[in-house]
Amino acid sequence: MERLIPEIVNGIVLGAFYAIIAIGLSLIMNLTGTVNLAHGSFLTLAGYLAFVLLQRGTNFWLALGISALLTVVVGLIVERTLIAPLYKRIPLYSLLLTFGLALIAEEVFRLIWGPQSVPFSTPASLQGATIIGDTVLPTYRLAIMAVLAVVMLLLLFFMYRTRQGLRLRGAVLNREMMAALGINTQTLYMMNFGLGIFLAAVAGVLASGLIGLSPTMGNGLLMPAFITVVIGGMGSLAGCLVGGLLLGVGQSVTTLYAPAASEIVTYVLMAVVLLIRPRGLFGEEGLFG
Amino acid sequence: MKRTLDTVGMSILAIVLLGMPLWMNVIKLNVSLGTSLLLFGLAAASVNILVGYTGFMAFGNAAFFGVGAYGSALFSHYILPDNMILATIVGALTGTLSAFVLAPFLIRRRGIYFALLTVAFGQVYYFIAYRWSNVTGGEDGFSISRPHLFGPQTNPMNGPEYYYYVLVVFVAVMVFLWFLVRSPFGLSLRAISQNEVRVRYLAINSDRLIFKALVISGMVAGIAGSLYSMSINFAYPLLMDWHQSGDFVMMTILGGAGTLWGPFIGAIIYTLAANVLSSKTETWQIMIGALFVICVLFFPKGILGFLSRPTTTSEDVDTAPSRPRTEQALAQSEQG
Repeated sequence: MERLIPEIVNGIVLGAFYAIIAIGLSLIMNLTGTVNLAHGSFLTLAGYLAFVLLQRGTNFWLALGISALLTVVVGLIVERTLIAPLYKRIPLYSLLLTFGLALIAEEVFRLIWGPQSVPFSTPASLQGATIIGDTVLPTYRLAIMAVLAVVMLLLLFFMYRTRQGLRLRGAVLNREMMAALGINTQTLYMMNFGLGIFLAAVAGVLASGLIGLSPTMGNGLLMPAFITVVIGGMGSLAGCLVGGLLLGVGQSVTTLYAPAASEIVTYVLMAVVLLIRPRGLFGEEGLFG
Repeated sequence: MKRTLDTVGMSILAIVLLGMPLWMNVIKLNVSLGTSLLLFGLAAASVNILVGYTGFMAFGNAAFFGVGAYGSALFSHYILPDNMILATIVGALTGTLSAFVLAPFLIRRRGIYFALLTVAFGQVYYFIAYRWSNVTGGEDGFSISRPHLFGPQTNPMNGPEYYYYVLVVFVAVMVFLWFLVRSPFGLSLRAISQNEVRVRYLAINSDRLIFKALVISGMVAGIAGSLYSMSINFAYPLLMDWHQSGDFVMMTILGGAGTLWGPFIGAIIYTLAANVLSSKTETWQIMIGALFVICVLFFPKGILGFLSRPTTTSEDVDTAPSRPRTEQALAQSEQG
């Protein structure tokens, strides 16, 4: 029992990562049909940018903010120059293009920062632990949970309480109608992509302090995030959250009892969910077939 | 005119393929590279059944390829050693079976969701091979010695001989595909790629067709995989990884999806490029990535598409009504 509670906390942290990455993927997928395989590269990029800033002695939270914004800028440049021309075509092309970008990015990180993990230091203020009874809860994990929760609340506020968020949700339902109403859909696509990358970047910096920063860090988180989208159901933010937590906790608790099966459990959960509900937990009938 | 061109093209192809061991000697490469070209061509052809003809974003075919590789390797090791013909058949069967198991999960989905599911379920096979180490050798892979043709004491299959064996299988599969895409079944697959709603209105059960397409795709990939593991005397989990699937899809698009020979041409170019670049430079992964980007942006119809007709057809421009309407219509046709 005393080992179970920390594992569940770990699972919630991991699940929050999966959820926030999945929400970014989901946003980009729903609006433009782009399966962004380079999403993991943006996570890693944000991590390395923060790493460089931290080496120069920047405050951790400032580094988080700056690297996230820089990553969004890079993301928007990529979106405008490479991905936007493909919006008119079938989704297969953007999928292959982002796959190519992921290959390039991984090699570039390796060239600049080497193939091994770099020492990514978390600030001293976050290095302690809270002890409740006989369970130890590391402060950094609690901080991650807090930050990710705040980011998600802000996102929900943006999507459901602002005009721009309303436009985004409308465009997901019907792009042509949005364009016919005189709303610049290209701007919407850009904003949406930037939003997804911002979420990935925040997750990337926080994850670097937790699991270590190497050229393949983001890609390791990408596959569970895709499965989160599948479990939660396409087009549902709540689904991403629930699916992510389900995967994260499932994976962590499994490591306690059967370490070898920790990746498999992700896929078992996916198969079980899809057998019971073929469209995912919160997926809508008829969306994406 | 087109017929003459086709004949000339096929003759050149035949000469190149039949003389492969010779050319490989001339340019100082091992004949096993020639074998790999054929087998990646088959793997890409298996992707093409789904991507090119049916219009489904299959991103997990490496799993079928890998299952075929392991299937024949494990068969040769544990059950009946030293019979190449049987090992090939077993590879085909395991590939078929691996697709058959996944198909029920996949056939109800379309578009991006289908792509995600193929990636995710493909990874399941990867992790099984990776974790079940006392059978599969885990991360280190599984070594096999190449079997003789019909069992011990028959023909040993060294370099060129093995290449010709693979060539025979390759030609047989290509002939099968040639008939397949001209059959009513193949034409129905093309119809699905153009407008599935209308296909359903013609009282054709498209789910069942997609199921068959998946299984055939698995079979072709399984054959390719089993011959590949015999070619390199090795089967390893990374053969099934989704990066490998991505490579196969890229070969298909690079050569020209939806054409019979496109995937093979794509496989040749891609494999040779990767081979040459990886021996010349450290940063070959960047070059390959750039190849992806350039091909997708500037040659979306692939090399054959680029050469044949510089016109756009409905295939690469999404002229369908906006997504939700198509899906609503599909959902309604389900209920009504």
